[in-house]
Amino acid sequence: MAQIIVIDDSSTVRNEVCDFLKANGLTVTSAVDGRDGLDKIRADSALKLAVCDVNMPNMDGLTMAEKVRNDLKNASLHIIMLTTENSPAMKERGKAAGIKGWIVKPFNGSAVISSIKKLVG
Amino acid sequence: MSLRQSIMLLVLLSLVSLCSIGGYAIYQSSSSASQVRTITDQVVPSALASSDLVSLLKDVQLATIYFVDTPKNSDSENNKRVLAERKSQLQLGLEQQFQQANSTTQKAIVNEAKDELEGYFSAIDTSIKFKLDGKDDLAQSNLAANVFVYERELRQVLDTLRTEKNRTKDDAIAILKKNLSHTVGILSAVTLLALLLLASVGILLYQRIVRPISRMQIMMTDIASSQDFSRRLPIDREDEIGRSVVAFNTMIEKIQESSALLKQKSTDIHSMLQNIPQGILTIVPGNIIHPEYSAYLESILETSQIGHHPVMDVVFSGTSLGANVLSQVEAAISACIGEDLMNFEFNEHLLVTEFEKVMPDGRKKVIELNWSPIVNDSACTDRLLLSLRDVTELRMLVAEANEKKHELEIIGEIISLSQEKFYECMKSSMNFLEENRQLIQEHKNHDHNVIAQLFRNMHTLKGNARTYGLAHLANIVHATEQTYDALRKQDSSASWDQATLLGELATVKDTLVHYTTLSEDRLGRKGPGRRGSVDRYLLVDKHQIQETIRRLESVNVSNLHELLEVREAVHRVLRMLGTESLHDVLKDITDSLPSLAQELEKPTPNILIDARGYVVKNQAASVLKNIFVHLIRNALDHGIETPTVRSATGKPVSGTLTITMQPNGQMMELCLADDGQGLALNKIHASAKEKGLLSAQHSHTDREIAQTIFRPGFSTASVVTNVSGRGVGMDAVLNFVKREGGAVDIRFTDNRTGSDYRAFELVVSLPLNHFVNMNTKEFVTHYAHPGPNTHPAGNSGHALKPFWIDEENILA
Repeated sequence: MAQIIVIDDSSTVRNEVCDFLKANGLTVTSAVDGRDGLDKIRADSALKLAVCDVNMPNMDGLTMAEKVRNDLKNASLHIIMLTTENSPAMKERGKAAGIKGWIVKPFNGSAVISSIKKLVG
Repeated sequence: MSLRQSIMLLVLLSLVSLCSIGGYAIYQSSSSASQVRTITDQVVPSALASSDLVSLLKDVQLATIYFVDTPKNSDSENNKRVLAERKSQLQLGLEQQFQQANSTTQKAIVNEAKDELEGYFSAIDTSIKFKLDGKDDLAQSNLAANVFVYERELRQVLDTLRTEKNRTKDDAIAILKKNLSHTVGILSAVTLLALLLLASVGILLYQRIVRPISRMQIMMTDIASSQDFSRRLPIDREDEIGRSVVAFNTMIEKIQESSALLKQKSTDIHSMLQNIPQGILTIVPGNIIHPEYSAYLESILETSQIGHHPVMDVVFSGTSLGANVLSQVEAAISACIGEDLMNFEFNEHLLVTEFEKVMPDGRKKVIELNWSPIVNDSACTDRLLLSLRDVTELRMLVAEANEKKHELEIIGEIISLSQEKFYECMKSSMNFLEENRQLIQEHKNHDHNVIAQLFRNMHTLKGNARTYGLAHLANIVHATEQTYDALRKQDSSASWDQATLLGELATVKDTLVHYTTLSEDRLGRKGPGRRGSVDRYLLVDKHQIQETIRRLESVNVSNLHELLEVREAVHRVLRMLGTESLHDVLKDITDSLPSLAQELEKPTPNILIDARGYVVKNQAASVLKNIFVHLIRNALDHGIETPTVRSATGKPVSGTLTITMQPNGQMMELCLADDGQGLALNKIHASAKEKGLLSAQHSHTDREIAQTIFRPGFSTASVVTNVSGRGVGMDAVLNFVKREGGAVDIRFTDNRTGSDYRAFELVVSLPLNHFVNMNTKEFVTHYAHPGPNTHPAGNSGHALKPFWIDEENILA
């Protein structure tokens, strides 16, 4: 039972984001790639928000988002993508998958925390 | 009539038409029904009953015959009863006919039939009586003679009745038929009339409603498509349509107003974009710059290729930003546009707010950026608004201000010290530095004793600097001392590196040189200094410097105007250091004029000094004093006439001396003029020839003659006064001036060439670097400096005191 799942194949980013969110009083779980993330989202219906990397092995973030919507039929989970680039094609795909926001790396906690709390609360 | 009334009328008319048609139809049908009922209930049955009477008559006749013919006593009672029954039926039928008779004819016929029936029945009764009496023959004969006759007659009457009844029936049916066809005709006519009436009312309404509405619709469509909101629909009626037109026109008027307002706003925005001295653009999806941007943007970016181009190319190319930062900016812009506002919050920190951009010609510009999202009703960022400001000059001024602040702080430290102490401190510091330099140069390797000595020297130097409050110097020295401290520790990883150590010493030396230069150049404190030997007004008020530092610290660095103001204030304070006004320089001389004038038996002259905003550096003060003590005395002695002569020529009794400062190229010209008799060229010429200064054979120009007054030993005065006339005055002046790299000249100010007396002025030229220009706007407006501009003689220089204070006070 957690509020937020952080999905990133880089343990550095994963730990940094998780630690920051935990320090701000949020309950957090994490996953190492899209497939792991999808499994954990399936298992935990209490999750409110997924903070997810785009490029990951096994299953990328956008595919995972599409599967959350189409396979799990989960429309309530907010998904925010962590990215280094933002092309129109990506945005288009993200829009279709109901991506709520794009955080361009590096992750800056103070810029996102108030919005994240709003999404989770 | 309103449309509502028209429609109500139409409905009413329709209703009335339908009611009248219906009513008439009901009336006619009920009338026809009654007729039909009469025919079917009365006329026809009565006609049929009249026919039945004949058969009833036959029955009676047969019964009678049967009775009469039947032998006596055989069933006579039964026959009698049958006959009576039949007679009764016939009588009843006739009685009914009587009751049903609806005309006198029928009644007359029925009455006749009654009469005949009476005779008939009487004849039958007679026959029956004979029969019963047994008189069969009589009965038979009576039957044949009377009964048959009566029967025949009655039958005829009944036939007549039947015929009459049938005729009545046929008449009634004919009347009914006629009535029905009449009704149909009337109803058709009324219906037709009603239809016509409704049709005409309908047409009228069509003309009154549909046509104007479709006309209105066409005009509305026209106005909508042409966007010409100045047009109006004509108001030619007062009904609902007329009122709709009024409402429509009002709406168009409102639209016209809104449209004008919108046009005005868009013009304003356009004009703002054209004139605002700031680069403003918006970024649309695809990170492309919208074609509407402020005109000033082109002058900031120095290109007109802006609209429809990628923002990364137009704004960010050639900037100091690295590829990674640029890629972040690009991704962040893209992540914000077309997305929820929260994305702007997520990524705003990646949108850079300042960079350096290289222009096509190689110049660098510092550009400040400000990002804001343009959000639509659904909290989604439609576009990003980016405003650019060229802050190159601003940043330069900030840097300059910081530098000046630093300089002022150092000056503040220096002036807190007496000149002697400062000199001693600098001298000993230099000695320590030199000793350390030698120690370092002589030792290529780490030596504890050497390092201990280096540290001691530097520690002493720092201690001195701290003692004297030379904080900047102490800070620099401290860093070097720390290096030595690290070196002297056993476990230190620091290594002996001559180059580094010498480099550090050079830094300290530079600082010392900076202090010394400031002291000498800004404060005019050269050498060891002797208390009281410097001029009275030497230093600038410490508070003035502190106030300037305070202004520097509190200046709003984003305000160009304020920065310029502060810069000017700093310049002014720095320029004021080590200077004094010409008036103050000459104050001792002007103060001594009354006693000199008394000696010469002349009134004290007026001295007008016009310094044109220039002040004199301390170094030049003494030479100016030395020059002007002679020139002013000479002017009062030789130039200004006696009061008697002046009165005779209409001049004021008191003479006037004017000193004007005027820069000319690299020199400052100090012109001294008096309103006296002028230069006595004749006397000078004679005297010069006498002394062999000019050749007696040659003629000389006025200028050549005048120049001889600068020759050593020249004097024209008939009496050598205590004041002047010793022939050393102008000669000495020339020497003083030449020593300072200047010159003295005589400039005639009239055109009377060859006259005995010529008006003139003495022009002393000195290098311009002995003077400081205080002419600045800020100087006058903010500090209300009484100005070193014009000081009539006698007006003391005390007004300058807020800025120029006694060295004694400073040092106290």
